[in-house]
Amino acid sequence: MISPLPPAAVFILGALLIPFFKGHLRRIVMLALPVLAFINLIHLPLGDSWVVPFLGQELVLARIDRLSLVFGYIFILIGLISTIYALHVEETLQNVAGALYTGSALGVVFAGDFFSFFIFWELLTVFCVQLIWARRTRLSMGAGYRYLLFHAAGGLILLAGIVMRVHHTGSIEFGLIGLNGPGSLLIFLGLGINCAWPFVHTWLSDAYPEATITGTIFLSAFTTKAAVYALARAYPGTEALIYIGAAMAGFPIFFAVIENDLRRVLAYSLINQVGFMVCGIGIGTQLAINGAVAHAFNDVLFKGLLFMTMGAVMYRTGKINATDIGGLYRTMPLTCIFCIIGAASISAFPLFSGFVSKSMVMDAAGGEHLRLVWFILLFASAGVFHHAGIKIPYFAFFSHDSGLRPKEAPLHMLLAMGLAAFLCIFIGSFPQYLYSILPFQPVGYEPYTVPHVLAQTQILFFSALAFALLLLSGIYPAEIRCVNLDADWFYRKGGRFFYGLMDTVFNNVNRVCDQWLAKGVTGGINRFCRNAPVRISWWLLMPFYRLGKHAAEKSRHYAQTIKAAVENGVVPIGLSAAVSGLFVLLLFFLN
Amino acid sequence: MHEEHEELMELKHDPVPGYRPIFFVAITVGLVYMGVILFNTL
Repeated sequence: MISPLPPAAVFILGALLIPFFKGHLRRIVMLALPVLAFINLIHLPLGDSWVVPFLGQELVLARIDRLSLVFGYIFILIGLISTIYALHVEETLQNVAGALYTGSALGVVFAGDFFSFFIFWELLTVFCVQLIWARRTRLSMGAGYRYLLFHAAGGLILLAGIVMRVHHTGSIEFGLIGLNGPGSLLIFLGLGINCAWPFVHTWLSDAYPEATITGTIFLSAFTTKAAVYALARAYPGTEALIYIGAAMAGFPIFFAVIENDLRRVLAYSLINQVGFMVCGIGIGTQLAINGAVAHAFNDVLFKGLLFMTMGAVMYRTGKINATDIGGLYRTMPLTCIFCIIGAASISAFPLFSGFVSKSMVMDAAGGEHLRLVWFILLFASAGVFHHAGIKIPYFAFFSHDSGLRPKEAPLHMLLAMGLAAFLCIFIGSFPQYLYSILPFQPVGYEPYTVPHVLAQTQILFFSALAFALLLLSGIYPAEIRCVNLDADWFYRKGGRFFYGLMDTVFNNVNRVCDQWLAKGVTGGINRFCRNAPVRISWWLLMPFYRLGKHAAEKSRHYAQTIKAAVENGVVPIGLSAAVSGLFVLLLFFLN
Repeated sequence: MHEEHEELMELKHDPVPGYRPIFFVAITVGLVYMGVILFNTL
């Protein structure tokens, strides 16, 4: 029997084989990777395996426990769904980058030491950027570079923290850290950048809508969820995360409502949902951690489904702005239905997946008497229904008739969307299967109670009423073809201001330096050096001329003669000998 | 694909007469309701 490999290895080794196959054979290889990875994962024993000695420490490439397994399952599952969705893509770069990105995410989740964790963490960035650049537009190139800059900075902060941590503890084991020193704070911040915390979230809303149609599905699943996993592993119960998570859940709603690009609306919605997870990790109780992990699992599915439906619209029409599309339900009914299922799931409708996980985090917040946080999460629940639950399907498939009559999405895309939609309903209807794989057992949480169902239904229907009244009263903001800036204002506008400031300051400093140093001091030294031999010769010889038979009025004539002789390099040898001799004498007496 | 497609610069939502007062009444009632709940929980 073959020993199981580290979970990441199946995708990484398989990705290296992809370029050697073409057509159907390549598709079979790509589909086989998640299947093999799953078979491999369930054969790995609980605990640490693939422990490799390294510089006196131990690298752990497969740490299997309940927390890593949940993320491993969902990453492999979305790897399969994304691969089915992307079967039409025959571009080697995208095929390979997708598989390597999935493998890197698995590597992060199953790494038991800082070294391998960091390596896989950085690989996530490298392959993610490939999926952004693969679209090959001017906007995607710019977004990819900004993504790279953000994550390179985050990676450096993380590395600095890891170095300090390892130096302090003497161990490279990656486990519970907690906020207890500068090293742990730097690691915390490094993870936070990948988690899209407020003010460092702009890479997400900037880059995800610019990636390829299929690449965005991979992107929506891995980077932020890997960061959520890392926070759940290293910082459970860290109070700061409660407020960071609440802010993440709240602020994107305002930007999502005014956004015209529907994939960017989903990107903001992604930050909003990750906020729930971060908040749950911060609360740190068993219910909260279970809720955060369950919501991460569900979010991968319903957010992936929503991105897939918008990708299908984009694939068929080439457009994704609310101003350009609308009325597509006529010719894309199945995609429309799948989109509504994704929207119902993210909005936490009863019998859909979001309902059984989001409420765990909210109940945990209520249980810890975090009243303000609970209200913010309630507002965020209503807001996400507003922008992702209603806005996305309404503006894409209903709203005004754009006149577009595209074909229904291709079969493989429908299959992928159908699989994700089925899982959203299945988990929402039978949550015990999801609960059985959560980190803390027994879960002991019952989502389908009368008060909970009634309260959630109330929130959703009042949100729907608010949307309808906003629209009918003309208060709902118009979707405009433009770029909305949020925290990226600081580097887009602020960067221009900074450039202008630096231009003004340094060019003026340069001008002053040129005036005073280049033209003033060095000019004076230059003039002095040019005249110095003449002047020195004159100072030395003049007293002798005055003592001699020559009249004083002729001294000016001699001065000019000496000056001309020195400048032309034709000094009489006698004069040179006299000056040299006098100079030696002067030095002798001075000594 | 349909040939008569027109791309908009702005997707405006024109008001339907009579709905604006309804909106403000609903918002006021909702805020008062929320306020009462918040007050009772503090």
